[in-house]
Amino acid sequence: MHIPDSFIPLDQAIVYWVIAIPFIFMSMKWAKNELDEMKVPILAALAAGIFAIQAMNIPIGMGTSGHMVGATLVAIVFGSPWAGVLVLTLVLLVQGFGFADGGITVLGANILNMGVISGFVGYYTFVTLRRSLSTNIAAFGGAWLGLFVSAVACSIQMSIAGIFPLVPGLMAMGTYHLIIGFIGEGLITSIAISAIAKSRPDLLEDSLTSGAERFDMEAIA
Amino acid sequence: MSGNSNMKFLYAGILIALVLSALAPFLASPNPDGLESAAGGVIEESRMSELEEMEPAVNSPMTDYAIEGMGKGGEVAAIAIGTFAVLAISFGFGKVFNKRA
Repeated sequence: MHIPDSFIPLDQAIVYWVIAIPFIFMSMKWAKNELDEMKVPILAALAAGIFAIQAMNIPIGMGTSGHMVGATLVAIVFGSPWAGVLVLTLVLLVQGFGFADGGITVLGANILNMGVISGFVGYYTFVTLRRSLSTNIAAFGGAWLGLFVSAVACSIQMSIAGIFPLVPGLMAMGTYHLIIGFIGEGLITSIAISAIAKSRPDLLEDSLTSGAERFDMEAIA
Repeated sequence: MSGNSNMKFLYAGILIALVLSALAPFLASPNPDGLESAAGGVIEESRMSELEEMEPAVNSPMTDYAIEGMGKGGEVAAIAIGTFAVLAISFGFGKVFNKRA
């Protein structure tokens, strides 16, 4: 879903930057308040893993492929969508400048779609689903919806840019990303969360316990 | 203790990333991604080739995760280099924003 420079005219690309910058700023504020020396290796490991897994395009049929985005996974692990924004901003910077994967003038739009929209929709869907469903299913649902909604947003941006006709663009982007979101985002996020829950349950404590439960656990400890 | 196990998490992450770097050039689907595929379907052919010929705003050293003249090995190296770049930037960022303990 990495938009190349040629797909969005410069004036519109600047608008997406203006929208994205406050989110990037807030994600740095999150880092300043929440990241300590202990958590930096976790953030770095997730960022590296997400960079590499984004190179692994999965075939989804119809002559199309797709890969994981990862903002929801990071947000769930850190219990905050700002973490997803931060990691995707770092990953997209390296991809854009180092590998021409996604443009530079349109980096704001790519950060907005894959970091902000996918991370926020994914994380809050996860939080909502988790009230009644298991962690794994909630992670799957959140990641899936997060990717789908960001693809819809991308498609609308393409039609504002005059690249896609609105409805056929939405149909094509929606169809492809429902499938990519199911396999590439939902399943992988769910598997990763369940692996972390098994090996490092302490990491997920913050995101998996409500305030009251956490208070109880601290009281017991 | 938690610091130690966080370092283990980091090493596991690096290992997974490097395994992915080594496999992706061989296993990743060469098909266009969702956005490119949608573009191919809804944009007229002449407009599409026009868009494809437009230069990106910045020239990247390893366009499309490849190093010129190095084939598959170069692709593995490119993704691995990117992985370490992301690691280094994340750590650098962590240092700058590190909350004082």
